[in-house]
Amino acid sequence: MFYKLLIVVFLAVSLQGAPADGQKKKETLLSEKVSQMMEWTSKRAVIRLNGEKFRRLIRAPPRNYSVIIMFTALQPQRQCGVCKQADEEYQILANSWRYSNAFTNRIFFAMVDFDEGSDVFQMLNMNSAPTFINFPAKGKPKRADTYELQVRGFAAEQLARWVADRTDVHIRVIRPPNYAGPLMLGLLLAFIGSLAYVRRNNLEFLFNKNVWAFSALCFVLIMTSGQMWNHIRGPPYAHKNPNTGQVSYIHGSSQAQFVAETHIVLLFNAAVTLGIVLLHEAATSDLDVGKRKIMCVAGIGLVVLFFSWLLSIFRAKYHGYPYSHQIQSVSRSNGHCSHPDPVHIQPRWWIST
Amino acid sequence: MAEHHTASDCKHKASSNAGGSVSGNGRHSSPAGCGGSGGGLSGGLTQPAGWQSLLSFTILFLAWLAGFSSRLFAVIRFESIIHEFDPWFNYRSTHHLSTNGFYEFLNWFDERAWYPLGRIVGGTVYPGLMVTAGLIHYILNLLHVTVHIRDVCVFLAPVFSGLTAVSTFLLTRELWNQGAGLLAACFIAIVPGYISRSVAGSFDNEGIAIFALQFTYYLWVKSVKTGSVFWTIGCCLSYFYMVSAWGGYVFIINLIPLHVFVLLLMQRFSRRLYIAYSTFYIVGLVLSMQIPFVGFQPIRTSEHMAAAGVFALLQAYAFLQYLKDRLTRQEFQTLFFLGVSLAAGVVFLTVIYLTYTGEYAKIHIPIIASVSEHQPTTWVSFFFDLHILVCTFPAGLWFCIKNINDERVFVALYAISAVYFAGVMVRLMLTLTPVVCMLSAIAFSSVFEHYLGDDMKRENPPAEDSSDEDDKRNQGNLYDKAGKVRKHVSEQDRPEEGLGPNIKSIVTMLMLMLLMMFAVHCTWVTSNAYSSPSVVLASYNHDGSRNILDDFREAYYWLRQNTDEHARVMSWWDYGYQIAGMANRTTLVDNNTWNNSHIALVGKAMSSNESAAYEIMKSLDVDYVLIIFGGVIGYSGDDINKFLWMVRIAEGEHPKDIRESDYFTPQGEFRVDKAGSPTLLNCLMYKMSYYRFGEMQLDFRTPPGFDRTRNAEIGNKDIRLKHLEEAFTSEHWLVRIYRVKKQENRQALDHKLRNIAAKQKYTSKKVLPSRFH
Repeated sequence: MFYKLLIVVFLAVSLQGAPADGQKKKETLLSEKVSQMMEWTSKRAVIRLNGEKFRRLIRAPPRNYSVIIMFTALQPQRQCGVCKQADEEYQILANSWRYSNAFTNRIFFAMVDFDEGSDVFQMLNMNSAPTFINFPAKGKPKRADTYELQVRGFAAEQLARWVADRTDVHIRVIRPPNYAGPLMLGLLLAFIGSLAYVRRNNLEFLFNKNVWAFSALCFVLIMTSGQMWNHIRGPPYAHKNPNTGQVSYIHGSSQAQFVAETHIVLLFNAAVTLGIVLLHEAATSDLDVGKRKIMCVAGIGLVVLFFSWLLSIFRAKYHGYPYSHQIQSVSRSNGHCSHPDPVHIQPRWWIST
Repeated sequence: MAEHHTASDCKHKASSNAGGSVSGNGRHSSPAGCGGSGGGLSGGLTQPAGWQSLLSFTILFLAWLAGFSSRLFAVIRFESIIHEFDPWFNYRSTHHLSTNGFYEFLNWFDERAWYPLGRIVGGTVYPGLMVTAGLIHYILNLLHVTVHIRDVCVFLAPVFSGLTAVSTFLLTRELWNQGAGLLAACFIAIVPGYISRSVAGSFDNEGIAIFALQFTYYLWVKSVKTGSVFWTIGCCLSYFYMVSAWGGYVFIINLIPLHVFVLLLMQRFSRRLYIAYSTFYIVGLVLSMQIPFVGFQPIRTSEHMAAAGVFALLQAYAFLQYLKDRLTRQEFQTLFFLGVSLAAGVVFLTVIYLTYTGEYAKIHIPIIASVSEHQPTTWVSFFFDLHILVCTFPAGLWFCIKNINDERVFVALYAISAVYFAGVMVRLMLTLTPVVCMLSAIAFSSVFEHYLGDDMKRENPPAEDSSDEDDKRNQGNLYDKAGKVRKHVSEQDRPEEGLGPNIKSIVTMLMLMLLMMFAVHCTWVTSNAYSSPSVVLASYNHDGSRNILDDFREAYYWLRQNTDEHARVMSWWDYGYQIAGMANRTTLVDNNTWNNSHIALVGKAMSSNESAAYEIMKSLDVDYVLIIFGGVIGYSGDDINKFLWMVRIAEGEHPKDIRESDYFTPQGEFRVDKAGSPTLLNCLMYKMSYYRFGEMQLDFRTPPGFDRTRNAEIGNKDIRLKHLEEAFTSEHWLVRIYRVKKQENRQALDHKLRNIAAKQKYTSKKVLPSRFH
């Protein structure tokens, strides 16, 4: 009887004590984990995890911090170009957080490389990289905790917005300033300056009109062939049809272009220009008549031939040119306020009569 | 030193010309006199100068006429109507100006826009356009020619295109010769890149601004050539007109200092340049600050700083020149010059760098990115707007740089900067077009002048060539070309070995064919792409007959006649000006996108669900909602297609409530059918667009509720509206107007209260109404 009582008392005590004890243990575990994470973060903005660390720090329950994890494959033999770009953006984001004033231990950035923690990939049933998943402080990741890479892209700003969305931590992305442009400019200036200094006794080349005219022409041709569009939009060089293996160099729509196409156009424009210059030279130069006639014929040939080729490319792209009356109203907006159409390029009208 | 250099340069050129004429080989280092049309005729006629000017006058007049008539497609096809969006605002303000007077216009506070904020119109517009139209209307009325102000507005841009052609002629004549000038005038009269902004009815700033731009440049070149204050003051006045007309004046105030700066670098400094720029900068600055909208910007903002820097540099340089006459330590002077110019160059580059990084940041705000004109330019756009000119104008640039002088430096800089800006932004194709016309005209004319005439008569051009150089030296009697031509006409008559008539005629014919193709292309583009008023739409049947879709005006007039005078209409900002102009109702947002958060609020209302939207609409006092829906006729510029921009702009301001990703399917597609995201299928814009559309079967091949714009059967056919009711739908469903229901008079009492009321019947009768009202 006494024995039983003792057991009951003991049980009662132990039951009462166990949660308190567990709580304490949990807290110490938690603080250990947090300090561990903080230590790693202080070394590196993005913590590298392997399978064991992932289970202990992320998977195991006591946790009061969110962790954003990038699952990636950075080893060169994996040949994942996107992973590298995404990694750069992710590093920018993590560093912005690491060195910001608002830095706390509420959120950590980590990554798992496939070659270091393939078991994690298996555990989470993942087969694509890179993937960004937020492990919230409470509960398991939901659907929205997986970042929609296809839709939103991997720019650091987009990631920051998603992080703010999921965890309420607002990160101002600070990109390390890009010194490449000014540096190149400085080098160029220094080069020109040193050239001028070396040849200071003979600066005739600066007064060479051919050089200046040629560079001006190059610039103009580069601009009129739409290289600025390429620079801003970054289109592919050419399109290869995956089914037939056919490579098309000309984009079918008039609103877009491939890089190859702009090079062709640049060449054609330059040829027409050359033709006009040749025509002029043929009439004014003091060579003998035979050569001048050849120049003249070559000039007019260049002008006519290349212009007609240019026109045919244009016709292929601009459907309905020249005299077809199929398009009634081209939606090239010249108003102040029309938006690019996401769906159609040209409006179509079907009036059922 | 620089003076000396220029002088020797002139001498060199003159001597090379002399050599050319002696050998009789037609070697031109500088432009030939009368090209193309003038050259052939002047030989045999007794009064060549008279004929020449008559011919030029006729050609210019014809160019004006051709330019004017090719801009009339819209008027002939539709009617004399104001186009598009911005012109409606300009028209409305011009109307205000002509009815209430100039001072009333300057003080106008428009309380019918941007409800409840209102807009200070007088201080936030470039008044040049309105004042020009108002003045023409006033003068015509003084002469008892009674025209409506609307007709003045509609035909203003075509008339000014003629003036543009004339000023382009003048500028090109200064740069090259008369023949090239005439060709340039013909080009600019019909080139699509300029027509796109100046068809009849397109009553917008650019229509008159390009004239002001070209005229200012002409006067600037003239004043650099002559160094006379008279021309410079003319240039300043023209610049003032440009500032009053268009924000693009910034292009002038940067290009002219750049010209001066490059001339300094090329050691082409002269007294003429000093006088021209000093006068221009000071007078132009003071004049430009008279425009209320510009105000103190010219001395505060970074894009005007380059002009100030160059002004300071020019003064320093001139001072050094002065000192050099007094002192002899030349080495030191040169060193000092180098230092100064380097410092100025660094300042110049920094300013430009700062300006464009600022521009870059602006591009990334969604509302700016959403406007299709702020996109970079594909080569197709270049070709579409300029056709043959885009391939030939580099040749003109080549000739200009090969035969460089002060004013050709200007045109080269103009070409290079304009082509850069046109590459960055489609809209700035407009500033590129004039210089392309001029340089192409130079290219064509320098080909034609050698191939058009006979071999025998090809000797006169060099004659005027040297007279051009004469001009440079004795600056007094500069522009008396007529007399000079006569002087040199019978100078040489020497046969030479030419290319032979066959080759020449073949080349001439082929070149003429190219020009003919250009003319055909211009007419086609004008007729098909740039002559749509976009207020009235047209569709063509298979037999070629035309249907006019007048839904927009139908709806706007419905609003005008069936709604309260002070009703507030909510729509996307594209339609704000049209609602104000045609329906004369108060709008919440319009095309003057000065308040992004207000626009974002409207975007939020459109993209939230109905009850959330109702709260916003209540807080904004909205009475009617107007949307554009193209699903019935397949009109692609409707609100559903613009919808993602509304979401993006709303998300920019309210990231908690609106998320762009919610409107996509998990695969990242934007679709309106059953697979579309539920947020999209239940948002206000979707509901208003497709309300009762599910009952409508358009033809037998497609199911009911088939959207022709997006080629999909809509996903939500059973749409019920709780807080809105359909008020009006136009004939082709293009415009749909909904009335926002007022709140019910009494809030429905909830159950508990009613029970209490039942217990204390007599007291509640008195208490309740007072409590709930």
